[in-house]
Amino acid sequence: MSGGNVKLESLTKRFDEVAAVDDISLEIQAGEFFSLLGPSGCGKTTTLRMVAGFEPPSTGKILLDGDDVAKLPPNRRDVNTVFQSYALFPFLTVAENVAFGMKYKSVPKAQLKTRVAEALEMVQLSGYEQRRPNQLSGGQQQRVALARALVLRPSVLLLDEPLGALDAKLRRALQVELAALQKQVGITFLYVTHDQEEALTMSDRLAVMNHGKVAQLGTPEDVYNEPADAYVADFLGVSNLMDARVKPGGQSTGCCRLQMGEFTLEANAGELNATGAVKLAIRPERINVEPYETVGANRVPGMVERLVFLGSTTHVYVRLATGSTLQTLVRNDGAELPYGQGTAVSVSIPADALRVLPDPGVSVGEIHDETTGEELLDLSGTRSA
Amino acid sequence: MASTAEKPVSGSSGVEPRDSQPPPRSNPWRRPWALEGFTWLYILWSIVPIAIAVLFSFNKGASQATWQGFSTKWYVGSQVTSVLHNPSLHHAVIQTLILGGLTTLICVPIGVGFAIGIDRWRTRTASGLNFVLIFSFVIPELLLAVALFLLVTQALTFIHLGTPAEVAGLVVWNLSWPAIIVRARLISIGRSYEEAAADLGASRLGAIRRVLLPMLMPAIFASAVLVFASTVDDFVIVEQLSSTANTQPMSVLIYSNVHGGLSGPALNALATIMLLISLIVAVIGFVAYRWLTRGERTEGGTEALTGIAGI
Repeated sequence: MSGGNVKLESLTKRFDEVAAVDDISLEIQAGEFFSLLGPSGCGKTTTLRMVAGFEPPSTGKILLDGDDVAKLPPNRRDVNTVFQSYALFPFLTVAENVAFGMKYKSVPKAQLKTRVAEALEMVQLSGYEQRRPNQLSGGQQQRVALARALVLRPSVLLLDEPLGALDAKLRRALQVELAALQKQVGITFLYVTHDQEEALTMSDRLAVMNHGKVAQLGTPEDVYNEPADAYVADFLGVSNLMDARVKPGGQSTGCCRLQMGEFTLEANAGELNATGAVKLAIRPERINVEPYETVGANRVPGMVERLVFLGSTTHVYVRLATGSTLQTLVRNDGAELPYGQGTAVSVSIPADALRVLPDPGVSVGEIHDETTGEELLDLSGTRSA
Repeated sequence: MASTAEKPVSGSSGVEPRDSQPPPRSNPWRRPWALEGFTWLYILWSIVPIAIAVLFSFNKGASQATWQGFSTKWYVGSQVTSVLHNPSLHHAVIQTLILGGLTTLICVPIGVGFAIGIDRWRTRTASGLNFVLIFSFVIPELLLAVALFLLVTQALTFIHLGTPAEVAGLVVWNLSWPAIIVRARLISIGRSYEEAAADLGASRLGAIRRVLLPMLMPAIFASAVLVFASTVDDFVIVEQLSSTANTQPMSVLIYSNVHGGLSGPALNALATIMLLISLIVAVIGFVAYRWLTRGERTEGGTEALTGIAGI
């Protein structure tokens, strides 16, 4: 596949003066699996629809292999879309659906059949040619939608929450398949999702979006391990956020000394040059729960508030002496946990896992209310403000 | 404990002593006798007169009130007054079919275009036209008929009274049917299929032709049936716009002969034929609609459309 480089330059879309997409600039390399991740209303789908040609941008450029396609109608762009609703034509068979776009590609009749067959084989639906979409399951319909787009060999494939309507197990299976398929065909994938797990498992790079802007751009490892701000830390999986202050003169190379309540903590990651009020972020899996009064640096006493058994792990919620609650993750290795609800414990927060993030100017609770919608209810419900 | 034992657990047995469930008024699953009875009364009230009218079209004698034995003479037998042999009677049948056919052929394509235009063009003009569409529902038919009469006799004189004026009037009067039904379907279909077609390379016209029209077929068909049936039934407009006896459809002929002229069971026969045409069209419509929307049963919207169409 030649080409497939997408470059967005100051792309903006306003609906009645409200900027749904606000001055986005980013470049997607040819052959890359790139995700736009964010809650509903963050502008990710609008961005995708502008690249597809369904929405004209208010300002800005969409460069496809160097050519600005912002003014071209969808049928004259070398991109194809897999819709969230699949949008399979119900009155056509699977084979006719897949062949729909070939009519505009001047492909010889003999080749047409082979290419349709190849595309269906690629999505493991050989033998389903004569079925109608309504005779297929949701996952199968999704595969037909994929085949219908891929058979045209576009330089970029746009996917708008394609797994959104499927159940969790099927979604996991298709995630793996989709990522493998992308490597196989080598087409640039621009993938829109609100599911952080999807974005992390499949993408080469991803952009976390918030209020029409890109909050952070990077590899999954980057954005997960080194979130640029509290919003990203919060959106990408469960993250414990705490309010703290940098101690006067607490900054030194590779280390930052902080005051959280009456306790002093050291952090080795994030904005180590920050001053004043900051947010502290730590992933649940990096926290250790130890017996009460264990001595050492970066330890805060607390009390086990709640245990939630999840199978392979147990979530332990610990209320710290400073008032905030931390969610920690303990692997179930067969041994019984040495603490239960109400047990006094000591929480060890390793300095290298503790990130200092710039204070967005709002309390931790407000970050939730403002930026993550109901889609993340499961996360916000498990953490206290 | 005794009181709970008396109450039958719902679904536990088929023989539930309904009356023993006190108090009966508060039982939401009780059989609505009053409503059912009233519904049946209503159905009888509307069907019995029609059935009597149909029955007397088969009367052996010339009476519309006294039964004198069965015969089909008013349809085919009599050389003078049967629908088959009397020129004005069978002309009326033919005129009705011509009007129905022409009106459907002209009205439905315009209405479909109208609906697509209103729904898929997002402009001020489109919303204005939407208002016009609703307006034609509330305007009295007689008013429209008189206005059309003046229009074709005073201004647009190239549209002659008779079949041309009748068809023009019926098209105007019935345009809302296809426009509203097709629009309802357009709304329930949504834009995603056209977007998918455009995405796969189709131009706007191509998307309408290859995707939208096939998906609109059930609605187009339903509205064609309605337009035809409504044309067969129409009286006010065709009465105003017909010219000679040759351009009188069945409804006008029946009306003008009820009190004198060609009265008798022949008129009942004509009315029965009119009823039959409407019924056949409705049945064709129902069967074809079911066939066209097969496999769509779970989708919302189409059932509602069947409801709107009344078939």
